[in-house]
Amino acid sequence: MLKTIVRKELQENLYSYRFPLFALICFLLVPLGLYVNNLNYIKSVRDYNEQMRLADEAVASIKMQDVMAGKVSIKGFRPPALLSIFSQGFESALPRFYEFTPDGYMPGESSSGEASILSVQGKIDFVFLIQMVLSLVGLLFASDVIAGEKESGTLRAMLSNSLPRDTILVGKITGGYLALWFPFLIAFVLGVVLLLVRAFPLFVGDTQARVLSVFLAASLFMLIYFAIGSMISSSSSKTRTSLIVILLVWVSFQLVIPRVSDMIADIIYPIRTETQVSLEKSLLAKSVDTETSRELGRQYVLIYGNEVSSGRGDKETPEDVKWNAVKTEIESNARERKAHQIKQIDDAYGQEKRIRQNIATNLSLLSPSAAFARLLADVCGTGEIARRKYGEAVRDHARALDASLFSRAKRTVIALPGGHTSLSFSMQPIDVKALPKFTIAPASLAEAFKEDWASLLSLAFWLIAPFAAAYVRFLKYDVR
Amino acid sequence: MAKQVSMLKADDLSKRYEDGVLALDHLNLGVRPGEVYCLLGANGAGKTTTINLFLNFIPPTTGTCYIKGIDVTKDPLEAKKYVSFVSENVMLYGNFTARQNLEFFAKLGGKTNLAKEQYYQVMRRVSLQEKAFEQRVKTYSKGMRQKLGISIAIIKDAPAVLLDEPTAGLDPKAAEEFLEILGELKNEGKAILMSTHDIFRAKEIGDRVGIMKEGRLVMERTREELQYEDLVKIYIDYMKSEPLTA
Repeated sequence: MLKTIVRKELQENLYSYRFPLFALICFLLVPLGLYVNNLNYIKSVRDYNEQMRLADEAVASIKMQDVMAGKVSIKGFRPPALLSIFSQGFESALPRFYEFTPDGYMPGESSSGEASILSVQGKIDFVFLIQMVLSLVGLLFASDVIAGEKESGTLRAMLSNSLPRDTILVGKITGGYLALWFPFLIAFVLGVVLLLVRAFPLFVGDTQARVLSVFLAASLFMLIYFAIGSMISSSSSKTRTSLIVILLVWVSFQLVIPRVSDMIADIIYPIRTETQVSLEKSLLAKSVDTETSRELGRQYVLIYGNEVSSGRGDKETPEDVKWNAVKTEIESNARERKAHQIKQIDDAYGQEKRIRQNIATNLSLLSPSAAFARLLADVCGTGEIARRKYGEAVRDHARALDASLFSRAKRTVIALPGGHTSLSFSMQPIDVKALPKFTIAPASLAEAFKEDWASLLSLAFWLIAPFAAAYVRFLKYDVR
Repeated sequence: MAKQVSMLKADDLSKRYEDGVLALDHLNLGVRPGEVYCLLGANGAGKTTTINLFLNFIPPTTGTCYIKGIDVTKDPLEAKKYVSFVSENVMLYGNFTARQNLEFFAKLGGKTNLAKEQYYQVMRRVSLQEKAFEQRVKTYSKGMRQKLGISIAIIKDAPAVLLDEPTAGLDPKAAEEFLEILGELKNEGKAILMSTHDIFRAKEIGDRVGIMKEGRLVMERTREELQYEDLVKIYIDYMKSEPLTA
């Protein structure tokens, strides 16, 4: 009986005008979207390789006097994410590189620099297509699953037979969903074949598993929206009512909840801006430097007296030995204090950002679309995990460069009580070939699923709850 | 001859809707195999409610419906194995052909694995034109749809048939053809309960005719009794009479 209803539902959809329209949208947009994003990815890889080459050349030509003068800056580039073809995520929003200097690090431009406002607002990638277009199509296909049968009177005809209502519901949802899923499956396979023709490394590493995960998540997402549509349809007696509710639900899930979540998080937990934090760190560094200079000046006077000499003799005196020991200790303490306090600021700010982000994320997970977008971005390596790992890599690289390059050139400022200042430089040997390379630790697929448990939970809820609600509603549905 | 057991039976059946309207008030009736029972009445008299109760589309407030002795409320799926239903506007899948519609509903009625020719035979029996067999139903006239509706009932081959205003809106020729088919079903031993506004056709086809008013069965006559009475006059008299008190 179930098979009969599934087959009827498939046939009915196949004969309807909306099916070829939907199939056309799928066949056009899925492969085309993947193809165009693949072209962009190839271009990004080419740019990245060229920039890396230039950056390596710049490192190889570092001069000692530039290091002494604090004029050296080193760029660390972020490689393009392969699966940004499927989900752009933060790919174009994150800086393409960070510039590391003795004073810290600064983000470079993002790759959306040249893009138009419209494409920045909603780049048409695979996720966008599923999230915006196919979700709506899924809802619209489901709008008449029950209400349409009631309106046309065929539901009475069906129920006049020895046919359990749950069989009708399951059969109709299964058949209706398959009518959506088959064109999507074909379009996806076409898209992947097109990528393979363009030498997409599908069989390298875990790419295959990730692409399969993308497909399964997209299929699940479409089923979720179909179930939501069926729930609405089984709660309405007219298709028109069902359509209005469906549009409201779609707007809420796609546009309102994800955006309002950020706004609510801003209100509940306002945080400082990057500029404020940067200014705070800069003031702290200056304050520590000033205190250090004064302390050095005080110690200098205690050791050498008030006489300031521009140069001392070649022979090292007991005062010189004492001074060097005191200076090293003061500078070392100051460096440690500065690093500790800057780390405290960074940690506090990181904590603030995390709390705000958690509030926004958890609120946005009320929408299955937000959950889907988050999960897929992480599966494709362009999501929150990638952003966090990029940030961690930048901080680690800054520390490594400081140890191997910037801290090797020391500039000592002594502020003497009389208002005089004395400046001295010292330099330790630097091996530019041994300088650390900027690398970002990749996140595994398992890590993505583990970190996105809340998204998975949200998706599971939105799959089960509408089915259960549709079931309960349909059991009591007035078929007259 | 032993008295036959009713195939369709309403036992003290009442239905009060959520808005308080008493649509059916202690209805008792039975339809035996090979009998056509016509329910006459104005709009809102309770005819369609009766059929909806037999099909378990709505639960009764009190009383019980039986199909082949099976309590419809207690075991609706079993009871519905023995009943076919034809509504006023036979609603089918417009994008399907007549044969596809017939095949789908035949399968729902438990008739699987029928050959194409068997569907055609049933459609021939109800005088549907051959060229219409593989035509999409959305191009059908109301008469053609009613014929297809009755062919769905025929193919299910259930011992009881429920018809809700099946001749409403049909032209006289189509209505006549429809009644001929009903006559055949009756001769096959089907118990037929038909709600209708059509007094003349009720008298023509009905072995028993009941008149409903405000949810009550106010009169019941057999074919023999009606030979000596004017059904039209009886009907109009009942319709004109004072409203019944609860």
